[in-house]
Amino acid sequence: MGIVTDKLPGALEKVPGGNVLVTRFDEIINWARASSLWPLTFGTSCCAIEMLMATGGPRHDLARFGAEVARPSPRQADLLILAGTIVKRMAPRLRTLYEQMAEPRYVIATGACTISGGPFIYHSYTTVRGADEIIPVDVYVPGCPPRPEQLFHGLLTLQKMIKEGETIREPGVRRKPVISALPEGITLEDIQGEMKELLVKENVVDVQHAVDKLKWPSGLNEQSSGKSGANESGAGDGT
Amino acid sequence: MTVEVSSLKELVEQASGDDRSPDTQEYFVNMGPQHPSTHGVLRLVLKLDGERVLRCIPVLGYIHRSIEKISEHMNYMNCVHLTDRMDYLSSIMNNWAVSKAVEEAAGIEVNSRIQYIRTIFAELERIQSHQLWWGVLGMDLGAFTPFLYGIRDREVLNDVMEETVGARLTMNYVLPGGLMADIHPNFVHRVKEFIKYFRPKLDEYDDLLTNNVIIQERLRNVGILSPQTAVQYGATGPVLRGSGVAFDLRKDHPYGVYDQADFEVPVGTIGDSWDRYWVRVEEMRQSLNIVEQLLDNIPPGDFLVKKLNSKIKIPEGRYYSQLETARGVLGVFIASDKKDEPYRLHYRSPNFNNLWCLEPMIKGDYIASLIGAMSSLDLVIPDIDR
Ligand code: SF4
Repeated sequence: MGIVTDKLPGALEKVPGGNVLVTRFDEIINWARASSLWPLTFGTSCCAIEMLMATGGPRHDLARFGAEVARPSPRQADLLILAGTIVKRMAPRLRTLYEQMAEPRYVIATGACTISGGPFIYHSYTTVRGADEIIPVDVYVPGCPPRPEQLFHGLLTLQKMIKEGETIREPGVRRKPVISALPEGITLEDIQGEMKELLVKENVVDVQHAVDKLKWPSGLNEQSSGKSGANESGAGDGT
Repeated sequence: MTVEVSSLKELVEQASGDDRSPDTQEYFVNMGPQHPSTHGVLRLVLKLDGERVLRCIPVLGYIHRSIEKISEHMNYMNCVHLTDRMDYLSSIMNNWAVSKAVEEAAGIEVNSRIQYIRTIFAELERIQSHQLWWGVLGMDLGAFTPFLYGIRDREVLNDVMEETVGARLTMNYVLPGGLMADIHPNFVHRVKEFIKYFRPKLDEYDDLLTNNVIIQERLRNVGILSPQTAVQYGATGPVLRGSGVAFDLRKDHPYGVYDQADFEVPVGTIGDSWDRYWVRVEEMRQSLNIVEQLLDNIPPGDFLVKKLNSKIKIPEGRYYSQLETARGVLGVFIASDKKDEPYRLHYRSPNFNNLWCLEPMIKGDYIASLIGAMSSLDLVIPDIDR
């Protein structure tokens, strides 16, 4: 198991003969969707070595984030990691690939080249200045090439966006694209400390908190909290 | 001399004219530009008869970034940085090629410390590039395990180099007139540790792939490239040496401090995919030897001959300089008109010539052999298109 970044949203209740999970359909679909993104192997140049090969390797291991099943066919993929320069001759092919992917589809643009043209921005007669001239992009990951850790940060950002994002009533609503750069002055120790804190905190599930967060219609809320001390009994099983 | 230029349409029409088989139908298949084993965005137009490949026409330009044209607007210091993005697995050697050309043309002498460090880094990067190739060859032939082994060892070496260079892939380390930075105090020690670590791993590589029956069956007697064809097509590097031609610029026209190291140039016998495989694995061993010999003798000195500003001016004329990257001979041609920017900068990239060997190698063979043969060429597509 790798890092569990988020638990299944919902409230777990003990009833005789098993448990009952109370949750919302949107939440559970988004949770499942965000945790099993299948990327398309689309690497055109230098960034591909870092984004597709080094991250797939044993040290960085994309599998920890549930996104290691790289597919060469766009029909089976739902995440397009743009790794490498897009030139004018490749642009129609990229558009075709994007349109062949099934909805919902997400795009991470990695590297300076896919953001703005990168080192080839001036005087080049072939480079496309940014992939967002051709297809919509969800997350930008800057760098030339970005480190594998940076791609992971981008991936976590995308997962967060998906979890907060769509509902069944309004599928495919696009949020504004974001840049996934670490803020300045953050060190490895900070991240590790935060991670540790999070793991300790998440070890105990506060059902009441989850129920409050979900904002049920008021009648349901009363019902579930009214049922004999669900807080304490649910806390043990939730982990 | 006349040069015949034929468009893809003409080539395809010409190829579709002569359908020789009486009972089967010949047809065309596009392989790429989105394909997992073309290592990027190479497109091959294949003419097939059943599973046999009758013609294989490479179509280029899907990653043409006009590096040569951009270079005409840049001074010589800046040109170097674009070369990292050509053959990104030999980035230091690419930097060195341009730096060498500029130094020779402008008459800049570099001290021997710089030459030592450049040579050591070039050899380390050769190992790194071959490690990746080794893993990817396994993956192309359907085995995922070698990829994990190759990347595992590549990361170890990557860490050692990153400590000095500061980057993982596009290193930008060599400049005209010296280096970006001096080597890290830990460098010598850590490289020695790496050599101790990696020697036994090479035997592991042998156990895993080299002595593997499946790999032998898939590579032996497949994609045979005769020495005559290899020379005619201008192939260089392991592809040429695999065909039995012992041509290596490090031996034949030594640059850097290769003349002070004692190493062998491995050559193949018949020029099949297996020979090219074996040459590369053997080159990793030789590179370790070179690094080991040079490591203790790095002389003291500066890492930059003098603080160069960006205005290096080259006298009017045409200059050519070449060196051996992990894939073959990289030539740099500079036409200067006495300004601080090149009038024309041209790269003779090794992959471009190696690519065209694919058709004579694979004609009449099965389409499954094409994958193995292409993998044994070790192509980097952005270096072909530039
Ligand atoms: S951003 Fe840099 S490393 Fe990535 S494809 Fe562009 S030039 Fe290459």
